[in-house]
Amino acid sequence: MIAQAVPQLVAELQSVVGAEHVLSALCEMLVYECDGFTIEKNSPDVVVFPRTTRQVQQIVEICNRHQVPFIPRGAGTSLAGGCLPVGGGVMIVLTQMREIEEINLRDRFAIVQPGVVNVWLTNALKGTGYHYAPDPSSQGACTIGGNVATNSGGPHTLKYGVTVNHVLGVEAVMADGRVVMFGGPGEDNPGLDLVGTIVGSEGTLAIVTRVWVRLTRDPQGVRTMLGVFETCDDATNAISDIIGAGIVPAALEMMDQGILVAVEAAFQFGFPLDAQAIVLIEVDGLEAGLDAQRDAIVAICKGRNAREVRLAATTAERLKLWKCRKQAFGAVGRLSPSYCTQDGVVPRTQLPHIHRRITEIGQKYDIRIVNVFHAGDGNIHPILLFDERDADQVKRVLAASNEILAECIACGGSVTGEHGIGVEKIDFMTKLFAASDCEVMNRLRIAFNPTGRMSPGKMLPTAGACGLEKRHPGRRAAM
Amino acid sequence: MPTTLPIADPIVPESQDDLADLIRQAHDTTTPVYPIGGGTALDFGLPPKQPGWGISTAGINRLIDYPSRDMTITVEAGMTMAELAATLAAERQRLPIDVPHADVATLGGVVATNYNGPRRYGSGTVRDYVIGISGVDGRGVAFKGGGRVVKNVAGYDFCKLLTGSLGTLAVITQLTLKVRPLPESTALLACGFAHLTEAETALASLITSKTTPSAIELLVGPAWDDAGDIPGGEKTVARLVVGLEGTSPEVRWMLDQLASEWQALGVTSTLRIEGEQAPVVWQELIDFGATDDTALTVKLAVRPSRVCELIGVLQQVDPQVSIQAHAGSGVLIAKFAALSAADANNAMIKQIHPAAIAAGGSAIVWSANSPDDLTRLAVWGPVRDETLVMQSVKKQFDPRGVLNPGRFVYS
Repeated sequence: MIAQAVPQLVAELQSVVGAEHVLSALCEMLVYECDGFTIEKNSPDVVVFPRTTRQVQQIVEICNRHQVPFIPRGAGTSLAGGCLPVGGGVMIVLTQMREIEEINLRDRFAIVQPGVVNVWLTNALKGTGYHYAPDPSSQGACTIGGNVATNSGGPHTLKYGVTVNHVLGVEAVMADGRVVMFGGPGEDNPGLDLVGTIVGSEGTLAIVTRVWVRLTRDPQGVRTMLGVFETCDDATNAISDIIGAGIVPAALEMMDQGILVAVEAAFQFGFPLDAQAIVLIEVDGLEAGLDAQRDAIVAICKGRNAREVRLAATTAERLKLWKCRKQAFGAVGRLSPSYCTQDGVVPRTQLPHIHRRITEIGQKYDIRIVNVFHAGDGNIHPILLFDERDADQVKRVLAASNEILAECIACGGSVTGEHGIGVEKIDFMTKLFAASDCEVMNRLRIAFNPTGRMSPGKMLPTAGACGLEKRHPGRRAAM
Repeated sequence: MPTTLPIADPIVPESQDDLADLIRQAHDTTTPVYPIGGGTALDFGLPPKQPGWGISTAGINRLIDYPSRDMTITVEAGMTMAELAATLAAERQRLPIDVPHADVATLGGVVATNYNGPRRYGSGTVRDYVIGISGVDGRGVAFKGGGRVVKNVAGYDFCKLLTGSLGTLAVITQLTLKVRPLPESTALLACGFAHLTEAETALASLITSKTTPSAIELLVGPAWDDAGDIPGGEKTVARLVVGLEGTSPEVRWMLDQLASEWQALGVTSTLRIEGEQAPVVWQELIDFGATDDTALTVKLAVRPSRVCELIGVLQQVDPQVSIQAHAGSGVLIAKFAALSAADANNAMIKQIHPAAIAAGGSAIVWSANSPDDLTRLAVWGPVRDETLVMQSVKKQFDPRGVLNPGRFVYS
């Protein structure tokens, strides 16, 4: 925006939230120029921290009066540039709205503000016999508002579903400043399912200021297993067999040897470093059924030549296993100076195929690739290792990434299972969808956000190119 | 093609392309289009008032792809629920959505009306299973959303947007579903109560039960008086039936566990419904939701803790009301046998909508035997801020208002 207009804008925003809740100096806004997708950066003109829905509404009204773009942001852990402030403007950071307003066990819901960190709700529910099911690996940092925007998943969504399956209602500030309540504590809201439409819309349809989430009963028992395999083919085939046998594990995760080495160095769990792949399998539910499921899984793994299937004997051991899995990406720093994670999805029976293709693509471009899969969902996270100071490597990483994602599409899959389109994958929308699909999606955006001033340049190719050239894949966190 | 009302002799396109041609013509001539699946829920919503074309999806009913080991299936929208269930059962899988008249009801119709039965408590609703969707909008433009994989966040979620949209944004032509394994065993446990307060105590205790019910059904009124074996004598005002599914050891354990939990609450008589009897009772629980010649059928969805209170409100309207509550989910289906149209309008507007809203939810008329006399307010309840956003969406998908005009929640 025009630099001369900024002071007036800042003054008006300060009058709403107080001077201490507005940032406008470039050095203060550095952290807000990108999310976990660090390739493309752009500073907002102003960052504002509202504490109430009314303040969010007033901020949006000010932006509309000044005709400047605005964009909501949670903790910024998203991985596809969903809160990159394309075109600058006002960034509305919702992390000061962090009250858990109500926990209602009888009606199985909680009301939370968007800045509540995912794990805070989990902690608040401890001992009640209930939990909030979506558990993204970044749950210690990411906010529920951000989870709603990106329809976050996590390892346990295989059995329990993703965020949209656990949101009953939202209060939101619309692009024109209206505050609208969608859905609520009751199910089957009459009319269109706009709650389900807003979840996963990456901040392009509404700014969510309050969320009614469904609470889930804790399972009576858990069995956590670690299958150790000599080849990745055996591991992926075992995963496919488990699903094909009609077992629905709570979680089914795979790590290949490349990442295992880094995870072991970081956490010293005692993983066998010579194994080509390990599969983390968790079943939960009634004690009366768990041992039979465990035995069936062990038999399937052995049938696929598993060297051994270890059982987590104690809660502490189980939690350590999950810590290794959820923090696997942090350990990648031990392997290379930079890395790039992809987020493809394939039908589950295609896991052996896609893993072989990833290996071939890595060889073709001379790029080392290690793999962490939400295998039960067919959601793959190949991690491409490189040094971003080497321009040729960077070029090869981008080419290899694109080829992997193209292969996912060719398998009948998707280019994003949980990270979102954001700005990173806008180019892939026209490969996944026909022009008419994108045109109808754009009409939906227009219904909510006719001027496009809310989160411009996101998700849809028709929403305007971001104008930033993708130059290098950069280092980033994942999951 | 002549326009008619009521819709007789619907047009039966054989493909999505033919359907898109028809809707383009309808758009160009501003002719109303009334999409029809199996015709089992045509009473839902306000009745059509403008002559137009009935368009049946019966010719768009093929199985497209069933990679059973991926636990997904892609079928055209006109496939009946019974055919879908049979296809899945051959691989020991199912879509756990309960629908009456499954031999006639189509998948597209079930999705368009967001129809769900008793298993919604344990298995979720149809929106949780649709992972890919295709349709034709009110301009005759064919489009799709989602895909064929179980986890996918690319683009806006048309699967959610079109589920429950009653054909007012698009005529659904094809669906990809994620499916579940068929449970090895199923049974039900039932008991009766002399007072609704006792029923609420039992419902509240199910929240912390060690069992994992698939369905929690509270049954009230004359329709259930001859409900066979479900216990209860002359003093029974409400029957509670809990559906249990899983492996045989799990189901056996749950039957024992729940019976002992109920005993601790003072329930003296419980009935185990197992073996061949179980599917019969499940079917009774599914069939109650079917449209019939009842004067007025209402669906309410409220906070689960308010179900018994709402039953009291419905009994004030008519002491003879018959009710099935999917009580774990806070959903009630109430059938009023004898209620004039004027009384129905009055009851909805003065009593039922306000009570449902006060209980954190909503009410809608599901069907009525003289629907022409019901007002929009009676059928859909008050216009809310959210309704206005729905109207904006409708204008984008169907700018000339040709899809199911005058029937849905839009004012």
